Amino acid sequence: MKTKALLIDLPRCTGCRGCQVACKQEYKRQAEKTTFFGGPGYQNPADLSAETWCLVTYNEVLVNGRHDWVFGKRQCMHCEVPGCASACPVKALEKLDSGPVIYHREKCIGCRYCMLACPFVVPRFEYETWNPYITKCTMCAHRQVAGGIPACAKACPTGAITFGDREVLIREAEHRIAGNPGGYVHHIYGMEEAGGTCVLHISSVPFEELGYVMRVPRSPMVAHTEPAMKAVPMVMLGLATVLGASYALRTRKQRDNQPAESGHIS
Amino acid sequence: MTNHWIDMKHADVVMICGSNAVENHPIAAHWIMKAKENGAIVVSCDPRYTRTSAFSDHYCKMRSGTDIAFVNGMINYALQNDRIQLEYVRHYTNATFLLNPEYGFADGLFSGYDQATRSYDRSKWAYALDPSGVPKRDLTMRHPRSVLQLMKAFYARYDIDTVCNITGTPKDVYRKACDVYTSTWAPDRVGCWLYAMGTTQHSHGTQNIRSYAILQLLLGNMGMAGGGVNAMRGESNVQGSTDMGLLYHSLPGYLGEPVAAMQTLSTYLERLTPTSNDPLSANWWQNYPKYITSLLKAFWGTHATKDNDFAYSYLPKTVGNHSYVALVEAMHAGAIKGLFCFGMNPAVGGPNSTRAREALGKLEWMVAIDLFETDSSVFWKRPGTDPSTIATEVFLLPAAASVEKEGSISNSGRWCQWRYKAVEPPGDARSDAWIITQLVAGLRKAYDAGGAFPEPIRQLTWDYGQDADAHGEPDPHRVAREINGYFTEDKDIAGKLWKAGDQAPGFAALQADGSTACGSWIYCGSYPGPNKADNRLARREKSDPAKDPLGMHPNWSWCWPVNRRILYNRASVDAHGQPWDPKRAVIRWNADAKKWEGDVPDGPWPPGEKLPFIMRPEGVACLFAVALVDGPFPEHYEPVESPIRNPMSAVQYSPVCKVWDLKSIGEPGEFPIVATTYRVSEHWQAGAMTRNMPWLVELVPDVFVELSPNLARSKGIRTGDWVRVWTKRGELKARALVTNRFEPLFVAGRAVDQIGIPWHWGYAGIAKGDSANLLTANIGDPNTFIPEYKAFLCDLAKA
Repeated sequence: MKTKALLIDLPRCTGCRGCQVACKQEYKRQAEKTTFFGGPGYQNPADLSAETWCLVTYNEVLVNGRHDWVFGKRQCMHCEVPGCASACPVKALEKLDSGPVIYHREKCIGCRYCMLACPFVVPRFEYETWNPYITKCTMCAHRQVAGGIPACAKACPTGAITFGDREVLIREAEHRIAGNPGGYVHHIYGMEEAGGTCVLHISSVPFEELGYVMRVPRSPMVAHTEPAMKAVPMVMLGLATVLGASYALRTRKQRDNQPAESGHIS
Repeated sequence: MTNHWIDMKHADVVMICGSNAVENHPIAAHWIMKAKENGAIVVSCDPRYTRTSAFSDHYCKMRSGTDIAFVNGMINYALQNDRIQLEYVRHYTNATFLLNPEYGFADGLFSGYDQATRSYDRSKWAYALDPSGVPKRDLTMRHPRSVLQLMKAFYARYDIDTVCNITGTPKDVYRKACDVYTSTWAPDRVGCWLYAMGTTQHSHGTQNIRSYAILQLLLGNMGMAGGGVNAMRGESNVQGSTDMGLLYHSLPGYLGEPVAAMQTLSTYLERLTPTSNDPLSANWWQNYPKYITSLLKAFWGTHATKDNDFAYSYLPKTVGNHSYVALVEAMHAGAIKGLFCFGMNPAVGGPNSTRAREALGKLEWMVAIDLFETDSSVFWKRPGTDPSTIATEVFLLPAAASVEKEGSISNSGRWCQWRYKAVEPPGDARSDAWIITQLVAGLRKAYDAGGAFPEPIRQLTWDYGQDADAHGEPDPHRVAREINGYFTEDKDIAGKLWKAGDQAPGFAALQADGSTACGSWIYCGSYPGPNKADNRLARREKSDPAKDPLGMHPNWSWCWPVNRRILYNRASVDAHGQPWDPKRAVIRWNADAKKWEGDVPDGPWPPGEKLPFIMRPEGVACLFAVALVDGPFPEHYEPVESPIRNPMSAVQYSPVCKVWDLKSIGEPGEFPIVATTYRVSEHWQAGAMTRNMPWLVELVPDVFVELSPNLARSKGIRTGDWVRVWTKRGELKARALVTNRFEPLFVAGRAVDQIGIPWHWGYAGIAKGDSANLLTANIGDPNTFIPEYKAFLCDLAKA
């Protein structure tokens, strides 16, 4: 199976936030209570959260001595070898061959190791609820299975978000950069970061000016997370006992309250 | 729009001036992006750096309210540098026409001005006529009284220094914009002009648009694929509303408003039907009698007869101004007793909204028809008001949303598209058509019991199948068939017999003798048969690129008039019917087959037989025009509230615009800052729909004011602070967003600060806040009376 990916072509982004709202609609996530703006420009909310998996950022940057307004997009990068999945003791996070890193909430024990393991600071925990889970973008794996494309890509009016085969999109990104060398920095963010991701960004300005995480290893995160995990088997055992009990309690509660939603993520 | 959203992809240069298209028409960006992919240059002109500016290749900052100076400078640049498409201008515009000696212009005033009435006698702006009554022409365009020579003299005053001193645009930036845009003078280069409310909402808004039209004509961009003057409509069906005569000054199909001086059909027609003695002019409006008669037959059916002037006397004849602000003022004065607000929210959306809210309190009753409780429907319990002091009885009727009813919608590109009903409306919500039908039934019942002049109501044709429906719902197909038109009696047209009840095939078949009825002549041909399968609005045929290389999609929905996708397309070809730009041919004359190919041409005549601009009696487009009350050429005047004296003349602001209350106008000494209002992607108009939608409220929860770091520093304001902004009319509180996207402008020798405020907020809904319209003034453009929302004076301080 060919690995799918998203290409985020930031110079094509108009900052309309159709993607951000389409994401909330697709997953029926709650609106957050915001006041004024949560970040530079029109950014809202302030950060990714348990309810916000896709976030457009607004960056006022100087380009050739002129003030420009450049938009960025934050979401799960869907690493080729995801640190979150390797850190998960119960395989609640799974990398699909088709690209998405998905979450099995029925397996999750709530340890939040995934949050620590993610170099992009993406997974979030539902601290506000009595029965919290991890949440994050799933690259609309369920839509892909049904032959669709991710909701954000579907909503984008200008083709700033393209869905397709990762290899093809990398060639497309290289083609766009080569065709307009003055319009892009020569960097496909996600081609090598964390060993490669299934969300690729290209930009007209250096990514650090858009607040992108730059101190990401080029090698897969698993190289950094696995030794750490191996060093603490006893801790794991203990944790597994405690959290396993909590898991048993929760699944019982879940069975009592609602039918399991098979195939539906989150 | 003369063209269509899709057509933007063909442009070589896209000028976005007077619009924030990318934010407020996000899907427009889809097509502009396609133009960019093909190498187009996008220019954004705006008082602030918007999401549209960020999307563009070239940004021109400018002071709000100075569009005419900006565009006149471009016209001058084109004229001075011979960047005009000469053959187009010579044959398809009135540049060659000679003007009579009475026309003149001096120090900001055209001839014929009367100070006492603040109006022009437009008969002074006439063509010189030959003995047969046809305007005299000089095809060399060298005659000193030719329109082209008079234009050159008029526009020469708008050199780059003068323009930039008014607009505040840096000269090199402005020169580049002139150079880029006027490059489309070449026959095979096309420029597309996009505008919206940033253009129209000024005391000279109509002249702003005229200036675009003049430039587009000089460059030969009208009628071309990728060209045109394109008004991007703000509401999805606002095109439909004006097509159907919802504005106070027109009847369906843009037929004129009967005024008190037109008491009979013959006087109405005498005043409004244009004549031409030029055999080359198609003068299509000579068909006026057919269209008004057919409309009257649609309204009153068998009660409209030749003997009673087709019931013309039933139409109300207006006296004076009935535009929006005039209505609010009349309400305020107690002259209006009741009000229906269909999807309209004057407590937020109109200028000087404090006054509008007061005016609602002077009504005896008000009916709001909307999806949500709007600010207007709860005006009587707004903050700071004691409901016991307001006697207005308010009714709120829940309305069905567009997806909860079947019907049509007409988009900016004049495509009328059929919509099916997706879901049932919730609760007691009903379609607008049902509500109106009930109203008609109730009025009829009341008039059956007596009353003055009952005939217009009692005899109204209202046969939309409502009685046959279990819920009394009128059948939208019947409405659509009436809009298309039908024969009321058997009629022989050129040897073909049409039977009474047959649907009319197109507006060429409409008659002035009462044998046809038609609800809106421009829609004739949209539903030419009796069955649902005949409904061309519902067509959804994909286009074959081999047959439709421009992607005009002729079999997708239906476009008025006669499914013509690009207006004035006869101007896209030369005298032999061959396209100026063969790679983007809209139409083409096939001399062998003796027929036109491509889009539906502006009239069937072979090339050369008729002049291309068939809706003008001259047959050509008007660089010089008498149609507008404020001048034949657009002249720069300052907004009514302006920080500077007008550098162009002694006339400070439009000499004919309407200022309702001079006492409500502020002076720059007291109010030194220029302000403008606008919208954001995340909210919709007066906010009833979006301020009740949590996902959108999350994105933009609070009213905010954008200001430059310079101004913020001088006032001690930081991002996130609450600030007060005030004008002569009122004040509001908003959060400050300090941004480099606003910059002070160097104007008339000094720096002038500008700020901007979106106006979507009110006191109803889940996101509450002050409307920017608490600040705006009751000032109207003299042609349309659209209020001057976009440029006014204010001051601000940290709250």
